[in-house]
Amino acid sequence: MTTFATTDTAAIGIPDLPDMARMYTESGARLRSAMADNGVDALILLGNGNVVYATGASWPLLDAGLSHVERPVALVLADDPHPHLFMPFREGAASESQIPADHLHPPVYLEFDEGVEHFARVVAELTPAGATVAVDELTGAMRRAADRLFGDTTPVDAAVVVGAAKLVKTPDQIACIRKACRITEEAAVDVQKALAPGVRQIDLSAQFVRRAFELGATANMLEAIWQVMPVSKAEGTWTTTGDLALPLLTTERALAAGDVLWTDVSITYHGFCSDFGRTWLVGDAPSSRQQDQFHQWRHILEAVLKVTKAGATSGDLARAAIAANGGRKPWLPHFYLGHSIGTNAAEMPMIGTDLGQEFDDNFVFPAGMVLVLEPVVWEDGTGGYRSEEIIVITEGGFVPLTDYPYAPYGD
Amino acid sequence: MAIEILPDERALRSGRRERALAQMEAHNLDVLVLGRQANVRYFSGAPQLWVAGTRPFGPICTVVRSTGEIHLNSTWDEGIPDDIPHEHLYGLAWNPMTLVEVLLGIEGTATAKRVGTDALTPSFAKLLPMAFPNAELVDGELAMRAARRIKTSDEVAVLRGALRVAEDSLAVAVGELHDGTTEAALTGVMLEAQAAGGVSTPATQDGAWVTSRDHPWRRAGGRVQSGDLVAFAAGVLADGYLGEVGRTWPVGDTHASDLFERWNLLWDRLAAACRPGHPASGLLAAYEAAGEPLPAMPVAHGLGLGFDPPVVTPQLRATAAEEILEPGMVLAVTGYVWQEGVGAVFGREAVLVTADGPEVLTASPSWSRAGVGIG
Repeated sequence: MTTFATTDTAAIGIPDLPDMARMYTESGARLRSAMADNGVDALILLGNGNVVYATGASWPLLDAGLSHVERPVALVLADDPHPHLFMPFREGAASESQIPADHLHPPVYLEFDEGVEHFARVVAELTPAGATVAVDELTGAMRRAADRLFGDTTPVDAAVVVGAAKLVKTPDQIACIRKACRITEEAAVDVQKALAPGVRQIDLSAQFVRRAFELGATANMLEAIWQVMPVSKAEGTWTTTGDLALPLLTTERALAAGDVLWTDVSITYHGFCSDFGRTWLVGDAPSSRQQDQFHQWRHILEAVLKVTKAGATSGDLARAAIAANGGRKPWLPHFYLGHSIGTNAAEMPMIGTDLGQEFDDNFVFPAGMVLVLEPVVWEDGTGGYRSEEIIVITEGGFVPLTDYPYAPYGD
Repeated sequence: MAIEILPDERALRSGRRERALAQMEAHNLDVLVLGRQANVRYFSGAPQLWVAGTRPFGPICTVVRSTGEIHLNSTWDEGIPDDIPHEHLYGLAWNPMTLVEVLLGIEGTATAKRVGTDALTPSFAKLLPMAFPNAELVDGELAMRAARRIKTSDEVAVLRGALRVAEDSLAVAVGELHDGTTEAALTGVMLEAQAAGGVSTPATQDGAWVTSRDHPWRRAGGRVQSGDLVAFAAGVLADGYLGEVGRTWPVGDTHASDLFERWNLLWDRLAAACRPGHPASGLLAAYEAAGEPLPAMPVAHGLGLGFDPPVVTPQLRATAAEEILEPGMVLAVTGYVWQEGVGAVFGREAVLVTADGPEVLTASPSWSRAGVGIG
């Protein structure tokens, strides 16, 4: 990846490790600025990724089922530099945070009427009357208590506000993402070494997760994917699009020599996600046709990166990718050419989706935006090629964050 | 787990659907639009990609009561039961209007009068009326919660399997406990064991921590030393079901015998509270009767496809008092005692409420006075 680099991360002010106090201050300022832009006085945040962003708190994430109930909730006020955090202490877990003690509250249980009634009283005490409130999720109990929570106004969608704040990452946030990537890559090195006929897909998951935690991961973000690609699209799993299925779930299937794996894993570090994807080959060297797939993928990536800089649009990148791929979209129809990343594994913008051409052409990249590019190349009989590259958009171009070789396809 | 991704067994699926459709009728819901992973699996029986943490609401699974038809957001048919045909699958979409179009195309949506959703965002609150022009949008989570509260016998069987994986992983982690190891290493070992056991989808990832001798629930720090009481919490999502178990083990000489004994006395009262006909608040009363302060975490929550009611915590006292335990409920019950200068003993058991009383489903060994500490 260094061959594409136009500069390095130190040159754009990204520290080796994040300064958590500075990140907290700068994230808060970005969020309040987005609140001002959207005319929002108070933000009520329930989504884990949004709470991480707003408060700097991070914790080992729970499964979706549990996390509806035992979840931190944030209340952010336009004129207060500190957010209020309602934090469950599930296993006595004390999340380190920069939040002053008078802004830390016991947990609230917003799935239940009793919990919402209590929360509404606290919100009413802290929020000025007539405030414009934005919220990212409404539980059933919150809907029943809407008049106590929101008065006679309809709440705005907080996704718009938080999304605007998240678009440009601060240097410390980028440092978090890069550290998450380093942990992921270091763990992936060992997993790739273990790749051999007879090893089960799930063994790769086991090895990966252990190494990731040993290396300092806060949480595993995604069920690890080691998808064995079919010989042909026709022989692959049925899809609504007629194209390839991805990601298919990991099983106890033993890998065989010649299997082509499309990998996808993600962990968090201080609440920020990594994203790792490479194509691996089990117990074999790539054939010349398989090498061609990789070279084609690299050709597409280079063409995309050539037009990537602050001021470019999602549409510019999509067009460059299609042109480099002989007029065909080099991504799967249910996915995208690329997406951003942060406290969620996939954040806006998504490039080349059903949001449409106009959306893509109007999405102008600011410097400091982070992008995961994941073109896909496919020819029946080769297993295709897919890898993911994370970059930071700069004024003059981009800086790479991913640092992992393409073996056995290339360096 | 096998070498293929398969839908949930037919009997498991049909038992759940029957319960959920009955609740749709009881709550007078013509259509349910579900976004939560557990609800989607409850109705569809299809495994989904696991991503940690909460997800924003979106229409992932739509159920029309009059036809019983299920429409599911899945780009492929792997793991999809044969009673959800290809034409009822719709692929991933990033434009919410694409999803509105999908809903408009489903038979029964145009005429629906009451549509329940299991959560909502302000954006979908505006968009869904376009798909359901004649309907009132209401909370559908109450109906799903009522259905999921009582487990079918098929569900309990799968739950037992999830608990086994959790308990096996806890045993492996306890086996690695020694002076000088770290919380992160123990958690890594635990999650590795779960995956090796076929489950790469943890329900909890806070696998081990050194309990504090100075504070009732804070942590002592990442490194394990002789004299520590180390808490282990294993949680997995196996075949969709949540299995959780917790234990505490001493390292070296800890003078913790009295504290373990206090835990045992507390546990006797907690277990006794898990009887049909008794209110869930009996679990809070058990702490009070044992003279133990309530812990920072909820004392109990339901186990099933993720969280199930009740959640028993002092923040929801009135709710717990109204929640009457019934046969078929499965609870993860937490006992927690702390002594200054010694640390905490934390233990979590899975309890099935039966007509005859509590059946403890977890059987992981506990430290006892007769045994010796590790390390």
